[in-house]
Amino acid sequence: MAKKKCVAMLLAGGKGSRLNSLTKDLAKPAVPFGGKYRIIDFTLSNCANSGIDTVGVLTQYQPLLLNSYIGIGSAWDLDRKDGGVTVLPPYAESSEVKWYTGTASAIYQNLNYLKQYQPDYVLILSGDHIYKMNYENMLEYHIEKRADVSISLIEVPWAEASRFGIMNTNEDMRIVEFEEKPSEPKNNLASMGIYIFSWNILKEYLEMDARNPESSHDFGKDVIPLLLEENKKLYAYPFKGYWKDVGTVQSLWEANMDLLNEECDLDLFDHDWRIYSVNPNQPPQYISQDAIVKESLINEGCTIEGEIDKSVLFQGVTVGKGSSIKESVIMPDAVIGNNCLIEKAIVPCDVQVPDGTVIRSFDDEIILVTQEMLSGLYPAY
Amino acid sequence: MKRKLLGVIDATTYHEDLEDLLTHRSLAALPFAGRYRIIDFVLSNMVNSGIRSVAIFPKMQYRSLMDHLGSGKNWDLNRKRDGLFFFPSPIVDNDGNKIGSFEHFAANMDFFKRSTQEYAIISNCYTVFNMDFRPILDWHRHSSCDITEIHHENGSSMEMYLIKTSLLIELLETRNETGYTCMRDVVQDFDHQYTVCHYDYNGYAVMIDSIENYFSTSMNLLKTDVWKQLFLKDSPIFTKVKDEPPTKYVKGSLVKNAMIANGCVISGTVENSIISRGVKIGKGAVIKNCIIMQKCQIEDNCYLDSVILDKDVKIEAGTHLTGSARSPFVVRKGMKQGALMNS
Repeated sequence: MAKKKCVAMLLAGGKGSRLNSLTKDLAKPAVPFGGKYRIIDFTLSNCANSGIDTVGVLTQYQPLLLNSYIGIGSAWDLDRKDGGVTVLPPYAESSEVKWYTGTASAIYQNLNYLKQYQPDYVLILSGDHIYKMNYENMLEYHIEKRADVSISLIEVPWAEASRFGIMNTNEDMRIVEFEEKPSEPKNNLASMGIYIFSWNILKEYLEMDARNPESSHDFGKDVIPLLLEENKKLYAYPFKGYWKDVGTVQSLWEANMDLLNEECDLDLFDHDWRIYSVNPNQPPQYISQDAIVKESLINEGCTIEGEIDKSVLFQGVTVGKGSSIKESVIMPDAVIGNNCLIEKAIVPCDVQVPDGTVIRSFDDEIILVTQEMLSGLYPAY
Repeated sequence: MKRKLLGVIDATTYHEDLEDLLTHRSLAALPFAGRYRIIDFVLSNMVNSGIRSVAIFPKMQYRSLMDHLGSGKNWDLNRKRDGLFFFPSPIVDNDGNKIGSFEHFAANMDFFKRSTQEYAIISNCYTVFNMDFRPILDWHRHSSCDITEIHHENGSSMEMYLIKTSLLIELLETRNETGYTCMRDVVQDFDHQYTVCHYDYNGYAVMIDSIENYFSTSMNLLKTDVWKQLFLKDSPIFTKVKDEPPTKYVKGSLVKNAMIANGCVISGTVENSIISRGVKIGKGAVIKNCIIMQKCQIEDNCYLDSVILDKDVKIEAGTHLTGSARSPFVVRKGMKQGALMNS
């Protein structure tokens, strides 16, 4: 195989348990987002747009949909003769079956995948985040700093800093201290879970970590602290722009609503940095004579006969006459009957909402609708 | 089916009545219904009918058609065996329809001889319909007909023919003696020994041959009972994939009875119109009874009624343009229309 300067490893095995029923049958990176996409589209598109053509996607939790969605990577132009996308599930060895027990163990168990490309650098990504980033710039930074590891950081509100892994740096942006979820943060620069490793360091430290029975085999908890302890050159790469971990029903809803905000930094309409996805091939959306559509994002294949206000509608959604959808996210092929009221809710794929249903939140908490909920005694929430 | 029926699309037609929309493209590549090209209908019908080998014969201005079709991947026709075949004419023929399609077919005789499919369906490229060809093949095979011509409900020819591939080769090889230049010549001549039959198709079908008819057919798509006959879940119309985001409705937009493709940003009013991918409609702009093609930009406070904007047209702020249903105002591809250039 041809040598590759930089290979990306995309961690996509996460369960995302705080997304409740949304991740019952699919991994978090496969959760629909933004009227058309799945969360993983953002990282895969970032790779494609950054000129990274070799991407290993590590799957473990509920991989069926994710595997078939990624396919051979054509949607992201990553179906390559040399490199391209390779889905890397956990596997059995002659002695034992090795599940991925942590982020570091997932990469460690695929060192053979990396070795075939003899990379100089390895980019480690998470498939859980919504953002647009040019990894090429980060790689240049890494090379310029002669770093062993570069970690991408984003400024978070001080009040929330204690929820993140916080990096303390010197003036040259060299990382001097790493604190995982500190109760009294000294800094508000949080790790985005994006790392560039120089290959030799990655190999050496993953092998070292694998031999350590005390380790939980996690980059943030084990590998990064060990590297700091041994005085390796870790540099912070400051990122500016939209970045969101859509780990909860609330944050998934918020990120969708962000797209309706004129001032939002996440521009889906930028032709120079397109977000690619598997195209559903549906006819244009049909807005009827009786429909009212205000401040919304609507995908192809929708049939709208009701009122849509500040909402995000995925492909193939039907909204009947007299229905009103407000501040909600309606996922692919959901059918909303006539005279329904849906406010501040997420309606997942294929859910059928019967005529006259009222779904409304009185305490500002976002309602995640389920089919079971609707078939029960549930006219008033 | 995959070994039985060969698809042949005759894309050599040119309609003078559509001239304004055909200066940069062949009729087959005429944009339609917001995200399709007219050839998508027959091509998707063929694929949905289980046809795995399709030959397209274009003439003149086929750049946009080639760009649209690519390797045939969007129709699942990028195959190791069979798939999509594209045969641009080797004959320079600048004067409309002088040379019949048989001449173009015959120039690629090897293809027909090499095809293993027993039957061929030969179709025009400009019919808007969603039709399964399998029942016609069954019907044809159980009849004693040599050629089956598909008719629409009112008895008019849909210019689609089912024929044994071997007979098609025979017709091509004897074209100089018989004088037949296309399938129409054969079925309209009664001095031959072939049995010609008709198959009546009762579904929705319109052949697009003039601006007026293009406009009215497009407007009819806004009727639910019409588009429900064209866009079926089980037999989708495939087209070239574009990675456009969903359409964004900005504060102040007002949309009624419209078909809108992806990637648009709509800030104004849209009524009874078809809007293609990537169109921007500014604040205070009013678009009524219009067909707006890909990537047009309509700036603030324009007023457009019964207008067709071809691709990449820019309408400057405050411009008023009005046509009529019988004669819609057409702005050609890539033009810029300003308030002062008003007509």
